[in-house]
Amino acid sequence: MEYVAQQVINALSFGAEYALLALGLAIVFSVMGLVNFAHGEVIAVGGYTMVAFAALVTANPLIIIVGAVAATAMTSVALERVAFRPVRYADPTTGLLTAFGVSIVLQNLFLLFISPRPIAVTSLYFLDAPVMLFGVQISSLQIFESVTTVVVIVGLVLFLQKTTLGLAMRAASLDFEMVRLTGIRANRVFALAFLISGLLAGLASVFIMARRGSVDPHFGFNPVLKAFVACVVGGFGSLPGAVLGGFLLGAVEVAMLVLLPQDYGGLKDAFVFGIIALVLVWRPDGILSPAREKGDKQ
Amino acid sequence: MTLTQSQKRGFFGACMLAAILIAIGVVTTFFASNYQLRLVYSAFVNLIVVLGLQVFMGNSRLTNLSHSAFMGIGAYAAAICVTPVAMKQIALPDAPWGLNAFALDPVTSAIIALIVTGIVSLAVGVFIVRMTGTGATIASLAVLVIVHSIFLYRTDIFKGNQAFFGIPQVFSLTSIVILAVVVVFIVRGFRESPWGVMLRASADDETGAAAMGVNVRRLRLIAWVLSGLILATAGIAYAYFLGTISARPFYFNHVFLTLAMLIFGGMRTVTGAVLGTFAISFGLEIVRWLETGPKVIGINLPELLGLSGIMLGLVIVLTMALRPVGVMGDREIEEVFSKR
Repeated sequence: MEYVAQQVINALSFGAEYALLALGLAIVFSVMGLVNFAHGEVIAVGGYTMVAFAALVTANPLIIIVGAVAATAMTSVALERVAFRPVRYADPTTGLLTAFGVSIVLQNLFLLFISPRPIAVTSLYFLDAPVMLFGVQISSLQIFESVTTVVVIVGLVLFLQKTTLGLAMRAASLDFEMVRLTGIRANRVFALAFLISGLLAGLASVFIMARRGSVDPHFGFNPVLKAFVACVVGGFGSLPGAVLGGFLLGAVEVAMLVLLPQDYGGLKDAFVFGIIALVLVWRPDGILSPAREKGDKQ
Repeated sequence: MTLTQSQKRGFFGACMLAAILIAIGVVTTFFASNYQLRLVYSAFVNLIVVLGLQVFMGNSRLTNLSHSAFMGIGAYAAAICVTPVAMKQIALPDAPWGLNAFALDPVTSAIIALIVTGIVSLAVGVFIVRMTGTGATIASLAVLVIVHSIFLYRTDIFKGNQAFFGIPQVFSLTSIVILAVVVVFIVRGFRESPWGVMLRASADDETGAAAMGVNVRRLRLIAWVLSGLILATAGIAYAYFLGTISARPFYFNHVFLTLAMLIFGGMRTVTGAVLGTFAISFGLEIVRWLETGPKVIGINLPELLGLSGIMLGLVIVLTMALRPVGVMGDREIEEVFSKR
């Protein structure tokens, strides 16, 4: 019984992390139709900022975390200005390939100017302590992660439902030209989407860092691959879909960890992606994809 | 069989491309050092990969990121069949299903490798072609990761990141040039065939094409499998020349490289694929030289690890920002020279 409870909690916390990552991708996609491959590198920027803060400024973890989140948010907004503005109204393939190129450039910049080797940060280890909760041993990191994700989802829903800019963003995902006609500044909507995406990337980078303890140029790759898969399964462009896809992926992953024999461990991802592919046979556009007929206005 | 106007022009254009490829091959044979010859050979292998990518991406305009995996499947399948038994007993002592107890001649091995890759790409393609743009791309990325993790995990068959050695080196520059020329004709032929025309129409307007009776999914699947077969050919040519393969060359770095080549040249045309491959291959060689920290006019440049990656990424970003259709755009080689 305890074992089952433990695995359920594991699944939820994995799912929370993936949901956080997937939301960062989905919010940009819903507004501008861009599949942001560079999201992983934004997360890596967060990791390197933590390294820099820990080494040069302070060991205070709160300042390190705030610094990392601020850095990712700024990076994300800067990327929109520099790289994604020229392809803003281009077709999705052009945007996707641009983001792909940006991701390669950033990854190699880390390689060139920082180091190809992992750099450790020890000041976040305190986040990962064992806690007993109702007789089940879990990690405090899992609690932080789940709570953060819940807070983020609630905050995002409130923002999108209650504010004018939130309304503009929801409208932008349906018909961007109409939003511009009502006098909302396009630049502001895009910048905001990237800002939110960057904030989410920053939060994710803190948790990934607390778990892995070191950062290297490929820091963001695996998490973002998972987030992509979560988005595709949930339905690209749908925010509830991103959350659902994240939790589904977390559940499948933990199930694979539990059910697969030990010596198949290296094939875990292969099995996870394989199962997820079966979901796409049932719904090729993802579970919660917005109902849209071919030929509708995109 | 009568050819349409565009097919005649396509045949003419393919002949021109073939002449260029043969010329490069001849020049290399007579003037190049051994090292340069290997570079040109790998450029030709990448050319076949890029052509294989063009068949699917150029005609259906869906981005595929799994192509290096199919190249790897072809290379490993051929390598496992063709390597002599004595070698395999050393390289793969624990191989299951008696994989290390037989050896075939290179031609039979190549055919088996093509069949194996064809079946795998058919099985994957059935899923891929159902999805729309973005989903298909991410799914293909997942395919790449799955195949790579299998290569790494089954060390008893693939040796993972260690070298799989002892493959007979039966290919020379001449064979790869001939192969590349044949592939150019196949790819250009597909582009101008009724299937190619219908598929390109469906990329421009999926609803419209479907309304005209085009079976979009079936056509995408045909292009996908043809692409897989061409990629397997590239993998076989790679293995048959080098004699050793490992899982690493069939992963992300190779995906970036070949994708940058196709995007730079222009994915919509065969000419773009050829131009992009050679431009980037030779450009990258200069960057690689800078990367090692050479001495230029008495100044020692620092070692710049990662410079080639930055250049590749910039090529993609700048092409997308300034000329999203690539250098060639919609024009094939014969259209550049004929007056309009």
